[in-house]
Amino acid sequence: MASGEKAYYIGTDMNCGGACLLKVYVRDGVITRMETDDGEEPQLRNCLRCRAYRQRVYAPDRLLYPMKRVGERGEGKFERISWDEALETVASEYKRVKETYGPAAVVYLTNGGDMGQVHNTRTIVRVFSLAGGCTLMWGIASNEGWMFACQATYGYPAGVDHRDVINSKLAILWGQNPAVIIDGCGSSFALAKAKEAGTKFIVVDPRYTDTAALVADRWIPIRPATDTAALIAMAYVIITEDLHDKRFLDTYTFGFDRFQGYVLGEEDGVPKTPAWAEGITSIPAQTIAELAREYATTKPAALLPSKAPGRTAYGEQFHRAAFTLAAMTGNIGIHGGSPGCEITQRGTTPLPMGSAMKTGGNPVDAGSPRRRDALPTAISKGPGLVARLHNSEVMDAILKGKAGGYHSDYKMVYTANVNYLNQYPNVNKAVRALQSLEFIAIQEQFITSTAKFADILLPTCTFFERSDAVWGAGPHLAYQRKVIEPLGESRSHLDICMALAKKLGIDNYNDKPEEEWLEQIMAPAVTDYERFKETGVEKFYSEPSVPFKNEIADPANYPFPTPSGKIEIYSQQIAAIETPLLPAIPKYIEPWESVNDPLAEKYPLQLITTHFKRRAHTQFDNIPWLRELELQAVKLNPQDAEPRGIKGGDLVRVFNDRGEIVIPAEVTQRIIPGVVDVPQGAWYDPDERGVDRGGCANVLTKDKRSPGGAMPSNSGLVQVEKA
Amino acid sequence: MQMGFYFDQTRCTGCYACVVACKDWHDVPAGPASWRRVATIEQGEFPDLFVAFFTSSCYHCAQPACVVACPTGAIMKKNEDGVVMVDQAKCLGKDQCDLCLQACTYKSPQFGAEPNAKMQMCTLCPDRLQEGKKPICVAGCPMRALDAGPMEEIEALYGDVREAEGFVYSTDLKPSIVFKPKVKPGPVGSSK
Repeated sequence: MASGEKAYYIGTDMNCGGACLLKVYVRDGVITRMETDDGEEPQLRNCLRCRAYRQRVYAPDRLLYPMKRVGERGEGKFERISWDEALETVASEYKRVKETYGPAAVVYLTNGGDMGQVHNTRTIVRVFSLAGGCTLMWGIASNEGWMFACQATYGYPAGVDHRDVINSKLAILWGQNPAVIIDGCGSSFALAKAKEAGTKFIVVDPRYTDTAALVADRWIPIRPATDTAALIAMAYVIITEDLHDKRFLDTYTFGFDRFQGYVLGEEDGVPKTPAWAEGITSIPAQTIAELAREYATTKPAALLPSKAPGRTAYGEQFHRAAFTLAAMTGNIGIHGGSPGCEITQRGTTPLPMGSAMKTGGNPVDAGSPRRRDALPTAISKGPGLVARLHNSEVMDAILKGKAGGYHSDYKMVYTANVNYLNQYPNVNKAVRALQSLEFIAIQEQFITSTAKFADILLPTCTFFERSDAVWGAGPHLAYQRKVIEPLGESRSHLDICMALAKKLGIDNYNDKPEEEWLEQIMAPAVTDYERFKETGVEKFYSEPSVPFKNEIADPANYPFPTPSGKIEIYSQQIAAIETPLLPAIPKYIEPWESVNDPLAEKYPLQLITTHFKRRAHTQFDNIPWLRELELQAVKLNPQDAEPRGIKGGDLVRVFNDRGEIVIPAEVTQRIIPGVVDVPQGAWYDPDERGVDRGGCANVLTKDKRSPGGAMPSNSGLVQVEKA
Repeated sequence: MQMGFYFDQTRCTGCYACVVACKDWHDVPAGPASWRRVATIEQGEFPDLFVAFFTSSCYHCAQPACVVACPTGAIMKKNEDGVVMVDQAKCLGKDQCDLCLQACTYKSPQFGAEPNAKMQMCTLCPDRLQEGKKPICVAGCPMRALDAGPMEEIEALYGDVREAEGFVYSTDLKPSIVFKPKVKPGPVGSSK
């Protein structure tokens, strides 16, 4: 180690899918270089994103001072102001909007940029709650369809411990790509070890992913948004060939007979045969039958669907169908099995997931009735409230307000931890919505595509510049030690919120500094708090966990928290809310913007918006060490490229009625014909004609939610032409 | 003694963690110089594909052509560990000379974007080796697909397979690396 240099271990988690451990070297208050976990195995090794974080901390384009807008909104012209002026403006605008239109007119938009226990999104919700309230969101972009399906079917969500896949004889990765999405620190490594130990892997995916390259014994390409049809046809084969586990179904499930009736065609006269599914999915009927037989006759077998196929129109049905197949094959609650949920880094810690700070009860939520179509026993009540806006519909709500049937008119937006414009559907509509607002305040590290629309910019620091602790849903807790002072005048979330609360005249916002919060939250969970701060991590490794183990081993004492106490293939909760296109048994419903949509004549290609290796969603898109690794390009099969005269590297227009992006084409055999992939997260960068040159996928996505709340970012049609 | 690498190609997901970790540790800016690189190998036609990744660096050859090619003696091979290193003070710079790059089968010599960039390449992290640590790429690989050490030990641990997808062993240069190569199976697509 160089002289004067000190090394610290700090936990990382930024909605990247992982929660890993960096070893950070600091000299004279400056981060000099990094290593990763070098302690006991299983080590929590970082991916490329964190390895490049030094460039993010010291990026020349870091937002370091409060700013106010001086040009037109969206133009990105700002002038430095004092914190006092910035916070005074935000506070007075909040008060003005609240008094003029009511607190619901203030919309707080957020996501997972910071995943700490202290400096998270609740910090801000508490400010607005105590100040009189604000409108919050529901509809998690990643996984709302899956959450809905879990709550309806099992009563609560679950994931498969990646260390348990080694116990599977067969693993079916359905749309899951941990080589890029991480899906829990070490998940790719766990899959590699399972393969080396003899697990057979089948990958069902529109793309031959990097994970497929790692483990696939067989790749089954599938048309996006049709996955439910493939699963239901597999059920048809399993039922008609009498391969289902009737004892399991009798003991643990509710309503299988109704599902069977639908599958066999007794309900609608259409037997859901592999031939029926072939026309929808483009998987040969023979292949569907083989897959069904192999899955039903290999035990234990793990069906591991990611949340991506659920990010489609009627995506809830995909997850409900996967859970049903897992039950039909008796693979739930056993080692090497799977309840039809994705792999992650699961385990138990003595710490419940959550936040230090209470939100204080948001008055806008408190005064709201429940949505008619919210599940009655949903774990979290907030998302089920009429006052909440679904993330697919925020911009529509801003544009239309009460006249459009929404709960309120919306006049002010405050964002933190999110590049909202970029990461939610229909960017061009979002631009119009943001332009229509009276005031926008944005807490950010960079002048992102959203931050360009701010009236006031509040610079927030990185996790190296304040202390926190993270639990990334893995069997470890990690300490985030402040290793350098905040750069410029940037501040932590908590510091910003405390100052804003003061400006708003709130005197009971917080009386604890971050260190006291941390000790209070973490000390009961770790054996030696000082050692925890030193090592940066406390690992709680035990046997791989098995979701729903108790419910299966001892159903009398551990009923599923559903109305029947069983796995509800027929969901009584869904039946009770009587919502069109939300059937009580899993069904294939033709998604909007499928290839059969008349719109396909104009826009014949299906769009998927996948994760990208060198970004965590929109984060890191501006970091040079990462930018140079991969080009933001639209990926398409030669069968689609050639008739359009497109060669790899050509600039192409990708467009539909919602907008147009111009980016290079990447012609690849690794994607099913008829489908194009624009990796999500590239920063929206419109030219003077409003054509996005940055390659932001959401310029093309539709802002409409699925009935169960899924955000259908993988249901959309586009055309591609040479630019 | 000859230091060298092991690469388990069956484990590589092409994640670039090695590339970025190296750039950070050695403070190599974004740009054309990358001491470690990752290539994607794609073969076959939809849906019968074979995809592999290959991470490359200087292989600190037993008989390095760059040392012979360098007109100023800027590149030398260290006796004690066989590491090939460059003395940038002696390097003529890319505008004057790129004989090392031309001589190297593996295109390991790297040049930055600056005018008359001096040659740079993998040093095998001597600071780390001295502390008993593995090179930063090895220590950072999330897939544990890389190792480095004295070739005798590396071969004792991993065998002596000298070829992999995307790599041809040069008997002239004798690169110091062994592999667990990714073997092309029968077709993996759904059509079969």
